[in-house]
Amino acid sequence: MLSFLIWIPILSAVIIGFLPGKLVPASRIRLVSLIVAGIVLCWNLFILLKFDISTPGMQFEEYLPWNETLGLTYQLGVDGLSILMLLLNSLLTWIAIYSSDKETERPRLFYALILFISGGVAGAFLAENLLLFFLFYELELIPFYLLISIWGGEKRAYAGIKFLIYTAVSGAFILATFLGTIFLTGANSFAFDAVSTQNISAGLQLVLLIGIIIGFGIKIPLVPFHTWLPDAYVEASAPIAILLGGVLAKLGTYGLLRFGMGMFPDAWTVVAPTLAIWGAISAIYGAVIAIAQTDIKRMVAYSSIGHMGYVLLASASSTPLALVGAVAQMFSHGLILAILFHLVGVIEAKVGTRELDKLNGLMSPIRGLPFISALLVLSGMASAGIPGLTGFVAEFIVFQGSFSAFPLPTLLCVASSGLTAVYFVILLNRTCFGKLDNNLAYYPKVMWAEKIPAIVLAVLIIFLGVQPTWLVRWSETTTTAMVATIPPMEKTVVAQVVVK
Amino acid sequence: MDFANLTSQLNAGTILPEGIVIVTLLGVLIVDLILGRTSSRWIGYLAIAGLVAAIGALYLQWDATNPISFTGSFIGDDLSIVFRGIIALSAAVTILMSIRYIEQSGTALAEFIAILLSATLGGMFLSGASELVMIFISLETLSISSYLLTGYTKRDPRSNEAALKYLLIGASSTAIFLYGVSLLYGLSGGQTELDAIANGIAAANVGQSLGLVIALIFVIAGIGFKISAAPFHQWTPDVYEGAPTPVIAFLSVGSKAAGFALAIRLLTTVFPLVADEWRFIFTALAVLSMVLGNVVALAQTSMKRMLAYSSIAQAGFVMIGMIAGTEAGYASMVFYLMVYLFMNLCGFTCIILFSLRTGTDQIAEYSGLYQKDPLLTLALSISLLSLGGIPPLAGFFGKIYLFWAGWQAGLYWLVLLGLVTSVVSIYYYIRVVKMMVVKEPQEMSEVVKNYPEIRWNLPGFRPLQVGLIVTLIATTIAGILSNPLFTLANNSISNTAMLQATILERTQVSAISTQELEEL
Repeated sequence: MLSFLIWIPILSAVIIGFLPGKLVPASRIRLVSLIVAGIVLCWNLFILLKFDISTPGMQFEEYLPWNETLGLTYQLGVDGLSILMLLLNSLLTWIAIYSSDKETERPRLFYALILFISGGVAGAFLAENLLLFFLFYELELIPFYLLISIWGGEKRAYAGIKFLIYTAVSGAFILATFLGTIFLTGANSFAFDAVSTQNISAGLQLVLLIGIIIGFGIKIPLVPFHTWLPDAYVEASAPIAILLGGVLAKLGTYGLLRFGMGMFPDAWTVVAPTLAIWGAISAIYGAVIAIAQTDIKRMVAYSSIGHMGYVLLASASSTPLALVGAVAQMFSHGLILAILFHLVGVIEAKVGTRELDKLNGLMSPIRGLPFISALLVLSGMASAGIPGLTGFVAEFIVFQGSFSAFPLPTLLCVASSGLTAVYFVILLNRTCFGKLDNNLAYYPKVMWAEKIPAIVLAVLIIFLGVQPTWLVRWSETTTTAMVATIPPMEKTVVAQVVVK
Repeated sequence: MDFANLTSQLNAGTILPEGIVIVTLLGVLIVDLILGRTSSRWIGYLAIAGLVAAIGALYLQWDATNPISFTGSFIGDDLSIVFRGIIALSAAVTILMSIRYIEQSGTALAEFIAILLSATLGGMFLSGASELVMIFISLETLSISSYLLTGYTKRDPRSNEAALKYLLIGASSTAIFLYGVSLLYGLSGGQTELDAIANGIAAANVGQSLGLVIALIFVIAGIGFKISAAPFHQWTPDVYEGAPTPVIAFLSVGSKAAGFALAIRLLTTVFPLVADEWRFIFTALAVLSMVLGNVVALAQTSMKRMLAYSSIAQAGFVMIGMIAGTEAGYASMVFYLMVYLFMNLCGFTCIILFSLRTGTDQIAEYSGLYQKDPLLTLALSISLLSLGGIPPLAGFFGKIYLFWAGWQAGLYWLVLLGLVTSVVSIYYYIRVVKMMVVKEPQEMSEVVKNYPEIRWNLPGFRPLQVGLIVTLIATTIAGILSNPLFTLANNSISNTAMLQATILERTQVSAISTQELEEL
């Protein structure tokens, strides 16, 4: 059942890539891949319907022996941590394909790579074997590199290679830790259920956990490892940026939760305070740097760093509520970033610039882009954490859950949430409001087709903001079960204080 | 000694695969003499048929009950069968590549194939040789044929220079090897068989004497030359650039596999007393090869030179398995060499195809190729990405197995270095992919702009196409469907008596040492 999520996109990518031109003309490729992505999305929704939210463990498990010598098994399963990420992946793939330019050059390769990535990401979220996860994780490397460096902006070659090297280094870290973990546990299989870190000494656990944090921290990205992100996000075309920010970053946080917290609960409590501060610094840094940007895509890119900081804070706190918040924040950040990048892409296509100094008065009802601007206001608000939208719900749960554990970092994050509002107001002020330049303002019309992805996302953002149960109900049992494995750090600290 | 006993001691059936190759070799030569140039249309296929028959014969000998033959100077155990198979297969694919290449250079094909087959023969005998003279003779057969092949395109000054360089370095390194071997003969009290040497040295009670260490170092100098491990690698870039490309393809796979076969057999059998020493030396060689090969490859502009440094680096990766010295370690080496065959030969086939059509092999000239030749672009990209270890290609699984085996044996720093240098290697492999795929049509190089129309029906192009597609498919799926290859690699180690003894000894020693540590 789950295998379809991986293999439908990958096989159709191969077929699209090799299809003879006579059979399906290049102009139809987009339609074909849209249909494929649609099928996958429907299948994902179907799985979501069948998903039993009361069981904490893996569901719909699949197992095939693959390579015994390596301990590599084809083992899939989905739980509360991954189900929303899967949905996000297939939804954003569909939107990315939909929002891609109809006249893309070399459409065959373009859509094949996107579908390939979609299958690979689904595989990484589904894998129940460390090596299988790593395989799918590395599978994203080359397609993304090609997508950035073929269909990107001006500095795409630089951005592409930078992304490639950072991600490859991240992969090396992750592989080293996986090999180390399995070797130290003495298991002869990389399957999740064979891994138990109980008998690893605390010092080694810490070393391994740090390896995992650095490996996934590059992908998330956390502050000192983030320098690939602005280049890659800005140089990538809008649909690719949606996939990069919406899906790939989630792979990092998912990996951190699943492998960092899931495999090393004891060491996790040791590093948690550092991680909380780290997350807060990330959030503040992202917001402050975003304020200084003059390019709207860059602003959105840095906003992504800030928002991922919240996820780190929530994972560090590891209270049941905070973890639910982390998953919710991952999902809602995916939606918000996707709509922002889509809108920025539309604005760039219509107006021809992304500079804050040149954009002006897009809200103007007749000659501007009023509908797009309205959606931009909405999504900016969602990103800044205005109630009634999904961003607020997620952030509020995160703050509520984290405050008991780490009050100061939480306050810092609240402050950075305020700063987020600041730079989005700057952005909206400089783009949507003001007056149109009479000499330049002859923008092409925005087609309905270009509005649809944004409308879909906006509806989702509002719906989940008003009815947040649908955002959090999937992950509750799983995250509660995860928290149960973490040794209660706060209590011991409190107890010591009381004794004194 | 009566006749029946002698026959059973000779056990000449073990070298049936080599016998087939010899017959093919003679057949090729004689046909060429009788029919002249007209035979060149089908003589390549004759040689391939012979090699395929030899591989079939190897298959039948798998798990032979009595592998020792020629009174102990040749062993046909599973380890040797695997290596002989790799060498024969690489020769077969090399012939597929060379049919057109050699014809175009205006030299005789049959002569080329004959020399190539004798190199194959030398390599195959080397894989099973277990006696000093036998080892030396087969090593020389391989080396001398390789010198001839390197300088085969006589009119090309670069080829001449490469041959001279290869000859001078090769001959001197063989001399060093020979000196080490003669020391072994003396140290062991006049034994030439590997087992007997080990016993002789143990009985002479010289222990870890200076003589033994000198012999070890001299032997490693000879082996390091064959597997082009840094610092014995200096010939590699120049020879790779100057020699005819099919020859390079063979040297990088067949000759290297033969070197590794020799290394495993000689070092594990003869030098158990100084096992830690040769592991240490190989660790140094592996570190140097991985760092130097991968870093210097970054700066190359010629495709063949880049692959030369890449092959130095790949040798470094393979050595990890050898240093580990466990069953998984040796098996991972064998597995990596098997997939290395597919990836490297696929890459070289593409290079040959490109240089046949355009006459150059500079990396910059590949830019914009995807528009003119999608198949070539796809195959070269896949093979280079596989060499870089990108999933789900064969090279990824090969590297994972090597690293996993290394980690299990406690070689953490070596594996970490392997991981880091793999990241570096991705950069220069992807540079070529970038040239071919990413460049815009207006950035196309002059050569690609004038790219000839793709025609597969020209003489000699079909076999190239077949070789390309077979190796491409193998590179793509040998990782995903790797179980048969893994089983083959593992069985070849677990069914080899000689290795089992060493592995057992090593695990016992390490168990004792850990016990001692615990007692302390």
